[in-house]
Amino acid sequence: MLEGMKRIDEVEWEVPVGYVPKMRVPGRFFLSDDLTETLEAGAIQQLANVATLPGIVRYSLAMPDIHSGYGFPIGGVAAFREEDGIISPGGVGYDINCGVRLLATPLRAEDLTEMRALVEDLFRAVPTGVGAESRMRLSAQGLEEMLVEGVPWAVKEGYGVEADALHCEEHGQMQDADAVPVSKRARKRGMPQAGTLGAGNHFLEVQVIDRVFDQEAAAAYGLEEGQVCCMIHCGSRGLGHQVCTDHLRTLESATRRYGVEIPDRQLACAPVHSPEGEAYFGAMAAAANYAWVNRQVITHEVRKVFSKRYGIDYEEMPLVYDVAHNVAKREEHDIDGGRETVYVHRKGATRAFGPGRVEVPQDYRGVGQPVLIPGSMGSASYVLHGTTTAMERTFGSTCHGAGRVMSRTKAKKSMPGKEVREALLGRGIYVRATSDATIAEEAPAAYKESDKVIDTVTRAGLSLPVVRLRPLGVIKG
Amino acid sequence: MPFVEVPHPADVKVRVWADDSTALFAEAAKAMFAVMYVNAEDRGVVRTLSVSSDDPTSLMVDFLSELLFLSEVDRVVFSEFEVRIDGTELEARAIGEPFDPARHLGGMEIKGVSYSGLTIFKDGEQFCSEILFDV
Repeated sequence: MLEGMKRIDEVEWEVPVGYVPKMRVPGRFFLSDDLTETLEAGAIQQLANVATLPGIVRYSLAMPDIHSGYGFPIGGVAAFREEDGIISPGGVGYDINCGVRLLATPLRAEDLTEMRALVEDLFRAVPTGVGAESRMRLSAQGLEEMLVEGVPWAVKEGYGVEADALHCEEHGQMQDADAVPVSKRARKRGMPQAGTLGAGNHFLEVQVIDRVFDQEAAAAYGLEEGQVCCMIHCGSRGLGHQVCTDHLRTLESATRRYGVEIPDRQLACAPVHSPEGEAYFGAMAAAANYAWVNRQVITHEVRKVFSKRYGIDYEEMPLVYDVAHNVAKREEHDIDGGRETVYVHRKGATRAFGPGRVEVPQDYRGVGQPVLIPGSMGSASYVLHGTTTAMERTFGSTCHGAGRVMSRTKAKKSMPGKEVREALLGRGIYVRATSDATIAEEAPAAYKESDKVIDTVTRAGLSLPVVRLRPLGVIKG
Repeated sequence: MPFVEVPHPADVKVRVWADDSTALFAEAAKAMFAVMYVNAEDRGVVRTLSVSSDDPTSLMVDFLSELLFLSEVDRVVFSEFEVRIDGTELEARAIGEPFDPARHLGGMEIKGVSYSGLTIFKDGEQFCSEILFDV
């Protein structure tokens, strides 16, 4: 699989220009030797395809959780110049701002004597699964404000505390959001789904910190060994999916009109400052705000449950951080000795800004941005911190998760959901889902070992481990 | 059922086939709903739709995307499809039943219909299509 690739160092590989016709820059990906057998030819092809797009800067990149997607590979990162670059929904995906947040609690594992009851309470409080409906009374005007204002709007409406927005990427509000190019159809899907968890790999997990790797960074993030936390993983639901579908259609003809040659129709794109490019970017940013509010509303429900069961105040359950995994952003980076504005696409990748960057919350700026890497139901999740190396090599990006290695169908065939559920219970992990089939398709064996992925980004210096979180109770869509 | 799942590590890829190009669209829709929901039945709930696109692959993406939209906003699980195609214009009747979490859950949520790897081709006398869904 690595034939024709150039080894740059222990964990970094180069896909040379010419791997597919018309590449403008080389591809680069990060992979340790023990992960090379998981690499698919299709993913390398997609990485190389991205390198053909106009205005791409330095490299088409992929993180060690690389796998075949559509358009960009999952784990793909690419930055495009403002003056001659493009913007593409293929570099973001259907689930715009699918992301993760971590909520701290003042509890310790030994305080959670009734895990089953806690998880059942959370399952009742957070609408979950396909067809789940919002309990928010959202008006058309409310949705409009939510799309433009993001998390600060949710806090204003009573779904959070003031500090929450400060600990979100972009403060939970993309400034470029424009609700106008969010179609009526997207709004129609978004209105009844605000504050719902969704399905598939989305989850809500009660976890305990079982290992601290970096005391100083952990202290800065307010984390310590034995502490109970709550992780929330979901995205922009039908609203985001529809924004992607709508704008792909528009951008398909725009691609031809602007004379951009693309090797895969899912890479439909338009110049950053074309009407079509600006419309997609504004709508995508609005969908990203919707996703942040979605996670914020779920946070509020989680706090309510913990507060009621354990008598703790909402302020005692601070938001540690919230990261986006599927998004394109306008960012400034140091490139070839100068500061440039670029449009960084991260699809199944996490921003990992290093220390000192103004975008990192002030209380974390000394150690760098928290990076949240979810595991699977049975494997650990991690908090890492961003690094200066990531700023230099990957536009401040790192991996987003373990990455699948087994199809959902095969996972379902290999072990019934009931058995997966019972095996996890035997390890002290209580899982609740809308169906056993969901549990089967998300079985831990379907994913790469997250430890190996984390090891690769650590060795590459793209982000460094702060704490590890072991699952105690899991809700799956 | 005239479709198979083609192994794919992250998403769901299906291969469908039919005796003619119009029936192929109906089979693709059936496959999509079989991936999403279990126990779908025809209980007389009907929706009509029409889409117009530049070429057959876009027509497939637009048709299936429209069905995803209708299923979600009207909360209907479709199982039968009558399709008419004239050039790149498609009209269809989709027949199914109201979504019921107690009966239908257990499939996979499809977020979008991808152009990547989407093919429509003739295999002998049969018309075939491979479609990748983002789940």
